[in-house]
Amino acid sequence: MTVMQSGGSRGPSPTGLADVIETILDKGMVIDAYVRVSLVGIEVLTIDARIVIASVDTYLRFAEAVNRLDISQEKQGLPGLVGSMQEDGAKHKTKGMLDAATDKLRDYAGNGERERQGARRSRREVE
Amino acid sequence: MSASTQEKSRPDGGQQMGVYVYGIVPGDVKLNSGVHGVGEPPGEIRLVRSADLAALVSEVDITKPLGTPDDLQAHVDILDAVITDTPVLPSRFGAVLTNDEAVAEELLDANHDEFAGALQQLEGRAQYVVRGRYVQQALLEEILSENPKAARLRDRIHGADPDATRELRIQLGEIINNTVVNKREADTRLLVSAMKDHCMASGPRVATNELDAVYVAFLMDADQVGELERVVQELSDRWPGRVELQVRGPMAPYDFVGTGG
Repeated sequence: MTVMQSGGSRGPSPTGLADVIETILDKGMVIDAYVRVSLVGIEVLTIDARIVIASVDTYLRFAEAVNRLDISQEKQGLPGLVGSMQEDGAKHKTKGMLDAATDKLRDYAGNGERERQGARRSRREVE
Repeated sequence: MSASTQEKSRPDGGQQMGVYVYGIVPGDVKLNSGVHGVGEPPGEIRLVRSADLAALVSEVDITKPLGTPDDLQAHVDILDAVITDTPVLPSRFGAVLTNDEAVAEELLDANHDEFAGALQQLEGRAQYVVRGRYVQQALLEEILSENPKAARLRDRIHGADPDATRELRIQLGEIINNTVVNKREADTRLLVSAMKDHCMASGPRVATNELDAVYVAFLMDADQVGELERVVQELSDRWPGRVELQVRGPMAPYDFVGTGG
């Protein structure tokens, strides 16, 4: 048997660090259970996987997402608004609830549409 | 690079280098040279053999902490590369032994039968992870159409002062959250049940995203992978625009080796 180690020949999907963490955190064989005497205690940097804990913040984010969903359905006759709503929708799909919801909270905290649009634009420029 | 790691001492007499263990493989594995693992600087991956078993190891400086993104990536990259050719028992991240002799005697020899048996069971098999995320808009529309109470709450908060409707928003959000949890359980059951006859084992993972629909690891025979693709395609067809599904693998069987093998 030969073990190939070329980077390009691995699995079909590239993995992000979050996936890597979720894959190895608390998983795999615990060597401590097999070796006691010669185990070396080495400092392992804290590794956290996000876990979903529902809180009032979660509920408020979901509610705001529903509120926005409603707006996008009602304003379909207005081309300008529809464009920006669709853009928002696409962003939600690609970024996931947590990130999108954070954006919403930030928007929510801002005052007035003009300021929100400004903030959103600047974030996009950063991205 | 020397074939064997000896205990290298610091000036104060304490041990400086240790042997990081990535996993255990059959002893007839051959490694390409020049592949590096965890630590700074990263040590070259090599094998410590004993009888018909071998451990994938590299030297690490035990005075420095491990766990940088590069370390984590190196750990999975090595194991996931190995699994394409040979069964491997992946170690949990961070296992370091004093020297090669400890790896050979205390780890490989002392637990030989258990490791050899596990590797035999894993022959020709690998882990695949199926992850599905709800498409937020479709999910919320689905919940509102199914739940009149949620729809009524939506009507009451819409256009109203957020502060004045805070309690209603919390109620609505809680309904949605609980519904998502229930849908996740139901959809996970559906996936696991569809895969029941096409995998050696399945292990649902804990959701780490509020929009996770399914997140399940499967231990698959090489000839079952086509079935996995078929099942995932069927679910995609069944959930168009509702759940985005992704399959990752082959990878080492992280989810199927635990404490006590």
